[in-house]
Amino acid sequence: MSTSPRIAITGSGAVCGAGLNPAAIFDAILEGRSAVAPIAYWDASGWPIQVAAQLTGVKDQVLVDDRKLHKSISRTDLFGIYAGDEAIKSSGLRAFRDGLPEGEIPEFNDRSGLVVGSGGGSYQVNYDFFPLLSSSAGDMVKFGQELASSVHPMWLLRILPNNVLCHVGIRNNFKGTNACITNQCASGALALAEAVASLRIGEADRIIAVGHDAPIEPEAVLGYHHLGLLSADSVRSFDAERTGTIFGEGAAAVALEPLEAAKARQATILGEFLGSGAVSEASGIVHLQPDGDGPARAIALALADAGIAPKDVGMIVAHGNGTPNSDASEAAAILRVFGDNPPPVTAFKWAIGHTLAAAGTLDAVLALEALHRNVVPGIPTLNQVDPEFAALPVSREPREPRSGIALIICRGFGGMNVALVIRRSTDS
Amino acid sequence: MSTNGRTRIAITGIGLVTPVGNDRESTWQALQEGRPGPGPITTFDASGFTTRIGSEVKGFDFDSVAPRKLLKQASRCHRFALAAAEEAFSEAGIRPESATGERWGVSVGAGMMSISLKELDVVHRHCAPDGSFDATKMASPNYPADPVYFCRTQCNAGLGLLANHFGIRGYSTAVHTACASGGQAIGTALKVMRRGLVDKMLVGGFDSMLNPIGLSSFCLLGALSTDNDEPWRASRPFDVSRNGFVLGEGAGFLVLERWDDAVKRGANIYAELAGDGNSLSCYRITDSPPDGDGPIQAIRQSLASAGLQPEDIDYVNAHGTSTQMNDQSECAALKVVMGDHLPNVSVSSTKGCMGHLIAAAGAVEAAVCALAIRDGIAPVSANFQTADPGSEAVNIVAGKSRPTRIRAAISNSLGFGGSNSCLTFRQP
Repeated sequence: MSTSPRIAITGSGAVCGAGLNPAAIFDAILEGRSAVAPIAYWDASGWPIQVAAQLTGVKDQVLVDDRKLHKSISRTDLFGIYAGDEAIKSSGLRAFRDGLPEGEIPEFNDRSGLVVGSGGGSYQVNYDFFPLLSSSAGDMVKFGQELASSVHPMWLLRILPNNVLCHVGIRNNFKGTNACITNQCASGALALAEAVASLRIGEADRIIAVGHDAPIEPEAVLGYHHLGLLSADSVRSFDAERTGTIFGEGAAAVALEPLEAAKARQATILGEFLGSGAVSEASGIVHLQPDGDGPARAIALALADAGIAPKDVGMIVAHGNGTPNSDASEAAAILRVFGDNPPPVTAFKWAIGHTLAAAGTLDAVLALEALHRNVVPGIPTLNQVDPEFAALPVSREPREPRSGIALIICRGFGGMNVALVIRRSTDS
Repeated sequence: MSTNGRTRIAITGIGLVTPVGNDRESTWQALQEGRPGPGPITTFDASGFTTRIGSEVKGFDFDSVAPRKLLKQASRCHRFALAAAEEAFSEAGIRPESATGERWGVSVGAGMMSISLKELDVVHRHCAPDGSFDATKMASPNYPADPVYFCRTQCNAGLGLLANHFGIRGYSTAVHTACASGGQAIGTALKVMRRGLVDKMLVGGFDSMLNPIGLSSFCLLGALSTDNDEPWRASRPFDVSRNGFVLGEGAGFLVLERWDDAVKRGANIYAELAGDGNSLSCYRITDSPPDGDGPIQAIRQSLASAGLQPEDIDYVNAHGTSTQMNDQSECAALKVVMGDHLPNVSVSSTKGCMGHLIAAAGAVEAAVCALAIRDGIAPVSANFQTADPGSEAVNIVAGKSRPTRIRAAISNSLGFGGSNSCLTFRQP
């Protein structure tokens, strides 16, 4: 990768149950405050799972000011649009564009890209058909006849998985290369990887990468529960008595551009994106290879892409979703790649829940925050590391990263594994 | 645009399941003859809907495309995908083995999270008999939760099935940008292969929205043709009397290899996948700008990515949905990009025969471009009779298919949400 440009991170935004920006979320994590609380969206008192990490007490308008837009988007889109706008705002790119001669603005817009990792859809939105199902009572002819008087004409627009791409684009006039990745929990991390790849080949001059999801709804909670993936109380990543994960919701985004261009416009450079790796385990929707084959290969590819050795990695933000199989195979992968010299490992899902498609992006933004503050937060829900992988350096207490480089691991259904490598400063 | 020295990518296998044929050659034969796919909807009673016609896959053997155990997790469109992918592999004469699976990737344009009416009705009957949803009833022990169904509805379920069934262990991704999905998935694959992340890829798209909910969603928007008495001519892209698209279903898959590897093993090469262009219109969620802004940039970027000029293009497989807005915008874009060369370029929309395959459209139409190049035939733009002021300067393949040498072809895919994809193919 010697000929391709170095890629700077020049803006970020994040929202989840723990806060409305990366610093606030990281403060909560560092102070041991978890956003996991009783489910507020429905009466879950009789449910096997009654908790989630929700964003409560924040009006939709605070996230997206355009109230007209609220009617044609879903909650997941609110988060994604907010995070995308925040990243663009904090990057100073709009102010920079405003200062350009008018004739240069069309090219600026055409060379500004967006890559979004989306959760793909919700179940609840289909419930808009329930009144129609009741009134037609199994009569398909009646169903068709009464459709237009029962369901909102713009119904399809609310369920589009690429709404965030569309609306962050329209709101900011970013018209360049774009994608909406719908690869379940790997979506956000893959969006980052693809954004960087596009910048390296000069397909755009700047790209905003977003990950967003809002899975806290009855059918999804029940579905995960019946697959045995949810904990009833807390996410205890890598703990001997971990029982599963807990849903979170939110979004994160970063602004990326070639380092030289960022310096030239005197942007604040938050960090550097060094590399990524992505593989599948080819093992089915939920089955995982117990030996950690997938994450191990993804990590190795990411380190090679970054041009660094395992010893150079200063800290690891693990996927650590708290399910017995995922944590065990992920720990095996980390120990295989890093041997007897792994850096401090942590995970954030105990505090912000598992935000599915947004998880990789949120973890990356929070890892950058950790590098800046020179602290690897502890996992307060960790009582005893699983003896199966006792050598994994996880801790309840905060530690110092051993370098300014962080590795982020992200895993998803379908045997998907993505690893990302970022650096705090841009000196090398 | 710095794509000089790029790796050449060969298309060595094609598989198709479409409304006009359940394999590659029967589809291609029907497209050359202009045999129409649309007819009255047969999979459910659509007689109460404003649109009662669709372009269904016919006589497809749903139960033998993969082992029974795997098929339990496969929805209707996943089965189309498995069959088309199998055809592409068999035809290419190469497929992932345990030793090579890590060097194979997969990139798909996946249909939207598809809830079937039958499954939605389960939730309705148990939790919302009177039309309003009561979540407490979902937690009742009598609720028939079905984890297999839940897995099937995950946004990357199709991707996971393909990776699992064929043993693909390298870079795996799914994209959803509505009607641009298939094109963008193939564009992503081109970039992944040029980066050298994998040696070979399975790429394609699959979709089926021909169910009561899917049909409802487009009926509500008023996007479908209501020519219920003449389904065979309901889809008539670019014709002055066009009045909406015809909803179709199906899958298209390609096997991609590095050019030199394909030549070395003596593979049959259909065409080179030479370029990818990609833009966002930032206009309106359902419309493309009348002046072609957005599609113009995608086409130009694709040509640049292929190292070609407009004069090198002999055939355009248009997005050509048969809606006023799309056709106007696309013709405007072709006029701007092709300039004086416009009269020399044969343009057709195979949606006149096939209808609109939504997330599969771009992938199926990429296959059509490769077949058009192989045989030197620009397939007919079925049902086109009279141009309107927007399309009269465009050289539409009217009446019957046109034998012509095709040195290079482009395929446009323009989606809801404003994503525009353009792929460029070259004669080997």
